[in-house]
Amino acid sequence: MAWQTVTDWITYALFAASGFFFFAGSVGLVRFPDVYTRLHALTKSDNLGLGLASAGLAVQSGSWVVAAKLLLIWMIVIVAGATACYLVANSARNSGVEPWTGGDR
Amino acid sequence: MSETPTAITPRQRLRRLPGRAVGMLLVWFVVTEADIPSLVIGVPIALAAAVLSVALQPRSLSGVYLPGAIRFARFFAVNSVLGGIDVAFRALGPRMRLEPAIVHYPLRISGAFPRVFFANTISMLPGTLSSRLTSDTVEVHVLDCTRPVIEDLAQVEERVADLFGAQLSPHEGGAVL
Repeated sequence: MAWQTVTDWITYALFAASGFFFFAGSVGLVRFPDVYTRLHALTKSDNLGLGLASAGLAVQSGSWVVAAKLLLIWMIVIVAGATACYLVANSARNSGVEPWTGGDR
Repeated sequence: MSETPTAITPRQRLRRLPGRAVGMLLVWFVVTEADIPSLVIGVPIALAAAVLSVALQPRSLSGVYLPGAIRFARFFAVNSVLGGIDVAFRALGPRMRLEPAIVHYPLRISGAFPRVFFANTISMLPGTLSSRLTSDTVEVHVLDCTRPVIEDLAQVEERVADLFGAQLSPHEGGAVL
């Protein structure tokens, strides 16, 4: 099997996994009961989904500098995502939004 | 470990400059995808950015400890995957298993930047999300309070402290509300 084919399949696998986690995160956003649980779904799936997508692209690039650039982009998105998540959760807490605690749905 | 942020002297700021300049140059190099001619602009810009960042550095200093950073990166990678899988199964499962609770976790780690870093890390790891950071505690929303959340948070805090080259005293527990 040619090297190109190997890297292509690695990329397919990473993209498929990435798509799965983005999908699961979106399902969580719709199904989870309140703002806090929805933030859980979004932050974790963004982190992992984008990480896997970046890894898939890095394999295709075949260049260390491009791979480093993708890593940098991923890190910046993670920091932005965590900060936005904190701001949403914190303002929800400050404006008295009670966390859902189960029971009637 | 002292809790008060120490003021930094101009000499300490100056000592940070070379490392900061190398870091900025590296970022330029990566962003331009190793375009050598662009260094004509890149080198002065990176140096200016390094000078600015050192001059604007807030009071407390928090240097990164490289072996700790590598251990942190490994820990973060493994737990990101676990966090993604965990939330995916909860979201897709027919009976979403959710036992949310608010946890008050007393902070051991000191320094403004390490604390914010810790709070942000919490939000990225399995089943936890920081919702309020005060001077001595971080309030965490957990997806499943049947798990040993306090112990997990203590472990994350130790990893973050390791990243900044700090040691922590044994943790005293927190409260699950």
